[in-house]
Amino acid sequence: VRPADLTPVARDVAKIPASAALMFFSLAATFLFSALPWSGNWLLARPDLVLLVLLFWTVNEPRSMGQGMAFFMGLLMDVSDSMLLGQHALAYVVAVFGAQTLRHRILSFPLPEQTLHVLGLTLAASLTMLLLNLALGADAPSGMFLVSPLLTALGWAPAHWILYSPAVRRRRREVSS
Amino acid sequence: VIREPPPFFHRGPSPLARLTFFMLFAIGLMIADHRFHALATVRLSLSALAQPVQQVAAWPSQLSRRFTDYFTSQQSLLRENQELKAKILEQAALSQEARLLRAEHEYLLGLSAGKSRYAEGGTIAEVVSAARNPFTRKIWVDKGLQQGLRPGMPVIDGIGVVGQVTSVSTFTSEVTLVTEKDQSVPVMILRNGQRAIAVGSGKEGVIDVPFVPLAADVQSGDVFVTSGIDGTYPPGLVVAQVTSVEKNAALPFTKIAAKPLAGVENHRFVLILPSPPTMAPRPESKPGDDAKKSARERGAPRRAR
Repeated sequence: VRPADLTPVARDVAKIPASAALMFFSLAATFLFSALPWSGNWLLARPDLVLLVLLFWTVNEPRSMGQGMAFFMGLLMDVSDSMLLGQHALAYVVAVFGAQTLRHRILSFPLPEQTLHVLGLTLAASLTMLLLNLALGADAPSGMFLVSPLLTALGWAPAHWILYSPAVRRRRREVSS
Repeated sequence: VIREPPPFFHRGPSPLARLTFFMLFAIGLMIADHRFHALATVRLSLSALAQPVQQVAAWPSQLSRRFTDYFTSQQSLLRENQELKAKILEQAALSQEARLLRAEHEYLLGLSAGKSRYAEGGTIAEVVSAARNPFTRKIWVDKGLQQGLRPGMPVIDGIGVVGQVTSVSTFTSEVTLVTEKDQSVPVMILRNGQRAIAVGSGKEGVIDVPFVPLAADVQSGDVFVTSGIDGTYPPGLVVAQVTSVEKNAALPFTKIAAKPLAGVENHRFVLILPSPPTMAPRPESKPGDDAKKSARERGAPRRAR
């Protein structure tokens, strides 16, 4: 009899809880990134790192991050990007809900497949925003608009390395001492 | 460490319930913002939160500007200086003439000095950045409530109208450009006083002028200036130049395309004019007028009735 595959659970259990400070600073840093003076096609292709970090913490720290925080960050993004209040909020809440629902499924895959799942979520957020703006009477933007969710999703693996490396290092120190 | 509790512990509303709540909340916010413009205070307090981050984010571009300013060659500075001096001399003659004309005009209209139609003074502001919103045409400038800016003030550059202040936070303001979709400016043709409404197309460098009757005298190359009948823009500011006129008997109106004359998309400094003095109250619109009809009436020239 083959033993049951416990890898996802094992991987989940082995993870080290991230500190609240790290979450705060990751959100602040990505908000800063999105507030840089983007314009033109660069703006259309700008990866939405705030959404990426929100998804990352929702998947990995579901008790500390959720739709409330997503909604608040969305409002901040709306004000910073001078959009109609609530657009980013709606898109982020939809994507984070997807992350909450797919959480176990996402964690059961290695990073490349996780990235594909995240691509689905970022596309959902972008399409929500696009549909809202089209409904409000804006003209459809160029195809560069679809580059943004792609770049966002590609940041999933680097986000893992950056956001978990402090905790992992701490863990190694604890084990070695 | 198992960090997720078993499902039989109560953990508040389910994700789906939360999603429904937040979606309804967001849609409510959007309706309040879009339809009733009711969220100025919410926006102001949130922008106070975002302000420090935005300031830090503006550093790189400010630094690069300083850098290029510092390393401008003396040659080009001298040339620019000479050009500007020549321009000042030209403008001095014009402005003296304008002062005289204005005094005569006010005398003829019997207006007391306090009820002048002309805007005085203004605030010079530096453009900080284009708004990071791919669906709209807006810019941010570095003056706000502190410097006395209010929503509705017209914004011009050295040539003509750039746009209008639409939202003001403590130290910065958002200016909606005249090319923004559905941003309208009441204009008239400088040559013959034909009134019309210039409406932004949402595309760079294109302004539409709808609702001009086929019989109207419009030629390619005509310049539209603000007519000043709306109480937002003072009269006589240059807005756009007609690029093409298409008269088709199948259509009820002339199809006019124009391009904005001010450097709407590329400028560093703009002048924000104070709102003109309040005008006489508008006549009550007749019941049963729908929006389209009244827009057409406003756009069409006044015929003898």
